Amino acid sequence: MMRVWLLLLGALATVGFAFIVLVAVPGVMLQDVPRPAQLQPYTAEQARGREVYIANGCVYCHSQQIRDPAFTTDVQRGWGNRATVPADYVYDRPHLLGTMRTGPDLINVGQRLPDEGWQLLHLYNPRTVVPWSIMPAYPYLFAVRDSASVGPDARVIAVPGKYAPPPGRVVVATPDAMALAAYLISLKRDYPVTAPAGARDSAGRRVAHTMP
Amino acid sequence: MITSARPTPAGAHERADIDVRLRADLSSRGPVLLAFGSAIVWLLVGTVFGDIASFKLHLPDWLVQQAWLTFGRMRTVHLNAMIYGWASLAMVGVSLWIIPRLVHTELRYGRLARAGIWLWNVGLVLGNLGILAGYNDGLEWLEMHRYFADPWLVVGGGLVGIALLVTLMAREVDHLYVSVWYVMAAYLWFPIIFAVGNWPGFTGVESGATNWFYAHNALGLWLTAISLGAAYYFIPKVLGRPVYSYQLSLLGFWSLAFFYALNGMHHLVGGPIPEWMITTSIAASALMLIPVLATAVNHHITMVGRFGALRYSPTLRFVVLGAIAYTAVSLQGMLTALREVNRITHFTQWTIAHSHVGVYAFVTFVMFGSIYYILPRLVQREWPSARLIQWHFWLVLLGIALYVIALTVVGVRQGLAMLDPQVSFQRSVEVTIPGLVARSVAALALTAGHLVFVWHYWLMVRGRAPARETLVFHEARPILYEPEPEGALR
Amino acid sequence: MFPSSLAVVLTGLLLGGVALAAFFWAWRRGCFRDLEAQSRVILDDRDYRLVRPWETPQQRAERELRHGAAEPPAPGEWGGAA
Repeated sequence: MMRVWLLLLGALATVGFAFIVLVAVPGVMLQDVPRPAQLQPYTAEQARGREVYIANGCVYCHSQQIRDPAFTTDVQRGWGNRATVPADYVYDRPHLLGTMRTGPDLINVGQRLPDEGWQLLHLYNPRTVVPWSIMPAYPYLFAVRDSASVGPDARVIAVPGKYAPPPGRVVVATPDAMALAAYLISLKRDYPVTAPAGARDSAGRRVAHTMP
Repeated sequence: MITSARPTPAGAHERADIDVRLRADLSSRGPVLLAFGSAIVWLLVGTVFGDIASFKLHLPDWLVQQAWLTFGRMRTVHLNAMIYGWASLAMVGVSLWIIPRLVHTELRYGRLARAGIWLWNVGLVLGNLGILAGYNDGLEWLEMHRYFADPWLVVGGGLVGIALLVTLMAREVDHLYVSVWYVMAAYLWFPIIFAVGNWPGFTGVESGATNWFYAHNALGLWLTAISLGAAYYFIPKVLGRPVYSYQLSLLGFWSLAFFYALNGMHHLVGGPIPEWMITTSIAASALMLIPVLATAVNHHITMVGRFGALRYSPTLRFVVLGAIAYTAVSLQGMLTALREVNRITHFTQWTIAHSHVGVYAFVTFVMFGSIYYILPRLVQREWPSARLIQWHFWLVLLGIALYVIALTVVGVRQGLAMLDPQVSFQRSVEVTIPGLVARSVAALALTAGHLVFVWHYWLMVRGRAPARETLVFHEARPILYEPEPEGALR
Repeated sequence: MFPSSLAVVLTGLLLGGVALAAFFWAWRRGCFRDLEAQSRVILDDRDYRLVRPWETPQQRAERELRHGAAEPPAPGEWGGAA
């Protein structure tokens, strides 16, 4: 014989315990994460680019985290100069840590590929610059217009080769494309974070949530 | 139930048993058919979107002119249609059918449950259209809009839960069978984790931790819970023998509830969240051995010596394979949580294969098996074609086998390539291509299997199937037979 | 923020304590006794007596011995057209 209330109370207790351990306690511990001086909040355009990143599901193929060099080669691969720490994400809402690397990690893409023209061309069609890429093309973030109708302040992308528009027409970046490129270029977590003395746990591992 | 212990003469007692079951089935008919019907529509939606997303991974210039057709949105609708549409609604149907049967009474508040299913569907339509239009909350498994879509699911699921709880309170048996625990606990767990996951205030790594607290529990405390409840019912029911050990099922339930809920951070191994959280989750993942073994022993030892039953019972074939997949996916999950394995498999197609062993080979197989058992008892007709069931079974079995093997193999190769800084990233992409193409082939097999299943289902609900012979005798009973006094039902 | 405040942690711990106490109390009261009876609640007499074509003669004889004369199953009894 098993009482209904016992079942429900027990079920509540187990999930409540997990909630405390994995959500509430970390929340208390992380609420005082310092904001790194070198990390700027996203500008309005970068924030808009972040929305474009989310709306188009970039997170399903790109992570934004450098893992501990003690047991991965993320740093050696050149994706960053150190493991990322909680302070690197204080302006990220929601997080975009990601779980797949169908494409490369992007948390330092702004440091690796800071050229806006490259970013826009790559978004228009990745295979213009990376022939082996399996990333989707995003032509809908651009407009193909008559060259005569394009004003001087429009951002025209020179697309080479077989992806080039027909003669007399040009590829123009939309504000969404500009914002997304601005967001990608802003992704840089290369400033130094040195953990203070004693910031290692008993096993000698780096304590990831400490900041100078 | 020893013969001599019967309170009433043999015939009357047995009639009462069957009568109780019949009344339970009749009472839940409407809501269950609604839940199954909408689940099947979402199965088709999820299949089409999954197929397109699969092909897009190796045909990156295919269907790129429109924003709503982009990979990131197709994949997201595929996931949401399958998890919250197909799997969840099929589970709602199974819950609404199984609880009245298990507590020997009619479903209460059936209309409320029906309204709940409609609300759930409204939320799904809004959420998925929103994703296609670019309204995405940005958290995996929680993409549907937290204000326009998710509240419909909370209220809808809540209404179904209330109907189940009221039914449970009106129970006419003392004993609560293990399936009742799993199902009822799931309806308590889901709204809690869903609300926490959708809470808008989290920033940075806290947002990540909460995201995976939710997403892992959506699998463990919602999909797994109800699917295990169904397996715990159908395996002994068809075999005609109780589960091997009831003590073990008790242990399995409570240890699952405790350890599974703590697993989520193993999705962030090596990531920027505090080390102790990840360690906690890895430890809890390892301790999942307890519930997994308890459940595996119960399901598989009950089967021992009776595997021939798989040839006779399509229900058992799907459910038992689902139970085997549950054991497999759990062991694989424990392995994947270990840092030594995770450093290779994290961020690769291995994860995609793993999640499909869980949600497809386990949850979806159990749901297929359940529907094969339940539907004839609702529409009073027999499945018209054994051959169609065979086709369905072999197409989806071979399809998912190819899917999992292909992505697991290329996932390991991809992971090893990424782990070696001497190997270019290009190489880690190229090694996956054969697996991605094979996955698209597998997706077509799964699609064909789903079409066969949906066609068969359609024949059933449209009345193009033979009437159930034996149920004529069951059906006649409420008219010819005067119910026993209350006490005889127990 | 509310979900991660100290108050929530303390309330949660308290609730967990209550749940543990309830479990212990239920254990003492005997809520977990007679578990095997629960495992039989889904099976009625007819379920036990139905002829299962996959069973060995020995298993069938055992079934008849324990549960009485065998009864033929209905078509589709095992879920789906076999």
